[in-house]
Amino acid sequence: MTTIIQPAIARPALNKTPETVDPVYRQIRDLVYKISGIYKAEEKLYLLADGCARRMKQLNARTPREYWDRLTAAPSRDAELRELLNEITIGETCLFRSQPQLDALRKVILPELVAEKARQITKRLRIWSAGCSTGEESYTLAMNMLEESDRLLKGWTVEILATDLNDRSVETAKAGIYGDYALRNTSDLYKRKYFSTVDEKKLQVRPEAKKLITFSRLNLQDDSKMLFMKGMDLIFCCNVLIYFDGASKSKVINHFFSNLSFGGYFFLGTSESLMKLNEQFHLVHFPGTIAYWKPSLSSGKL
Amino acid sequence: MTTSLTTTIRERVQRIETMPAIPAVFLPLLKLLSRSVEEVQLDEVVRLVSYDGTIAAQCLRVAGSPLFGLSQAPKSIKAAVISLGMRRVETILLTCCLGQAFPAKKWALDPTVFWRHSLGCALVCRKFSEMLSATGDAEKAYIAGLLHDIGFMVNCLAFSQDFTRAVELASQDGIPLDEAEHATMGFTHCATGQALAEKWKLPDDIVDVIAHHHAVENSQKARPLVALVHVSDLLCRMRGLGYGYYERHKVDLIADPAWAILLQEHRDLEGVDLARFTFELDEGVEEIHALVATVFGSAPALART
Repeated sequence: MTTIIQPAIARPALNKTPETVDPVYRQIRDLVYKISGIYKAEEKLYLLADGCARRMKQLNARTPREYWDRLTAAPSRDAELRELLNEITIGETCLFRSQPQLDALRKVILPELVAEKARQITKRLRIWSAGCSTGEESYTLAMNMLEESDRLLKGWTVEILATDLNDRSVETAKAGIYGDYALRNTSDLYKRKYFSTVDEKKLQVRPEAKKLITFSRLNLQDDSKMLFMKGMDLIFCCNVLIYFDGASKSKVINHFFSNLSFGGYFFLGTSESLMKLNEQFHLVHFPGTIAYWKPSLSSGKL
Repeated sequence: MTTSLTTTIRERVQRIETMPAIPAVFLPLLKLLSRSVEEVQLDEVVRLVSYDGTIAAQCLRVAGSPLFGLSQAPKSIKAAVISLGMRRVETILLTCCLGQAFPAKKWALDPTVFWRHSLGCALVCRKFSEMLSATGDAEKAYIAGLLHDIGFMVNCLAFSQDFTRAVELASQDGIPLDEAEHATMGFTHCATGQALAEKWKLPDDIVDVIAHHHAVENSQKARPLVALVHVSDLLCRMRGLGYGYYERHKVDLIADPAWAILLQEHRDLEGVDLARFTFELDEGVEEIHALVATVFGSAPALART
């Protein structure tokens, strides 16, 4: 496996001190958090400011204050907030997006799940990539599971379910063809092992990793279908719920809690939080990342 | 712990006398600064620091370093406080004092890693304390966080061989350092830290924090403060200010006994958005890295005194 441990926190230049940021951006940061659950820390505020700047150009807004009005005044606010969320999360679509999450998965969670489930007859792990978009996260998970197939997961079956609302995304995901940008965090080792060359600029995921995954279309707000997603050990739902309103978000999160087996984990995007929408999940920390845990029956913490 | 072990630890800590001592100005400074910011008299601090030319000079050099981006380096402690605020100067002063007591050397535990964790914990303690109550003792919490792991430095000085094995075991197995100390030495930095804290005559509540931050239930005198430091310590270790190796375990703060103690003390904790608080903590990390690098000499802008 790759042993590259990325720092949990990006290092911005020190000259981007908070004092130089227009205070309106802190207001925007708080609004974005309140509505979506995405939090841009002070040192990443410039990323938010960059996103706003691109939107301001589109809208011909001259000052951050003017842009704030567009974000908060009807009728434009809902649509504009969506556009802004797109802007600030767009760079996050790539394979191996969050090394701290993958480290937590392989170094802490997998050993724990394997130990907990060792006595079960069928040694099976079920992972769900909910809102898989064009498949980057699903394949990253598949490759990481394959890396453990001769060690921790020897004799285990791994099923990855990858769903998205958008048919076109699902089709792109199935093809598994990616360019430099999506592969910017993928090490050469993984590229050699799990990809074949399509042309100079593109690589395609090999069948070995593909066959772990079942791609399908699913609407997370379709209650009847959500009830069928049972027995998950891990759910990844990154930068999807940010677009949902409070009530829908709550509903989906409650579904996820039921969809998970006891002892299972739910991951959001790296700077995304459930806020306080669900009190059944335990927010747990791993080095450089957080996750939500459905306590195991044996932990006595339910 | 057996009486003989306690005696051994005491004796060894007594012998640290020959090691670099804490600057004389440290304890009075600590006492002065554990008051709330509004109560600290600038003149008193200035007078105190003036007794120790080395500390004063080092403080000014750090204050004038690129880290704080001042257009003009301050020429006096008073000027530094005016440009940077009391809190930053306080951090710089205490760090310089501790840096003098335990100069950067090649030890079992890299001192820069150690001080990053200590300063990080201090900062988190203060932030946590401020969040929990407006009237609370945020400065006390800051100092408690800064000093909670001082026993690690004692281990480096007085139990160097055994402690080296503990650090190796911890990083190899990814287990908490105190567990590795138990396994290899039979005691932890809490015991050695307590011995040093008593020798230095630190205030009782700080001694309690140093002695019990890994077993909050044993704390007698300042349980809420000990619980606060325990939680902040865990948070730091999970947010990039740990001991430089990957700790292979999850931290479930809400299920931690320390959390229950804090909840008893501060009902508001129930409403706290822990995820957001966690993200906010990352905001101070960069400054801590830079400050430790500046004080402990790895920054090119500053030659060590």
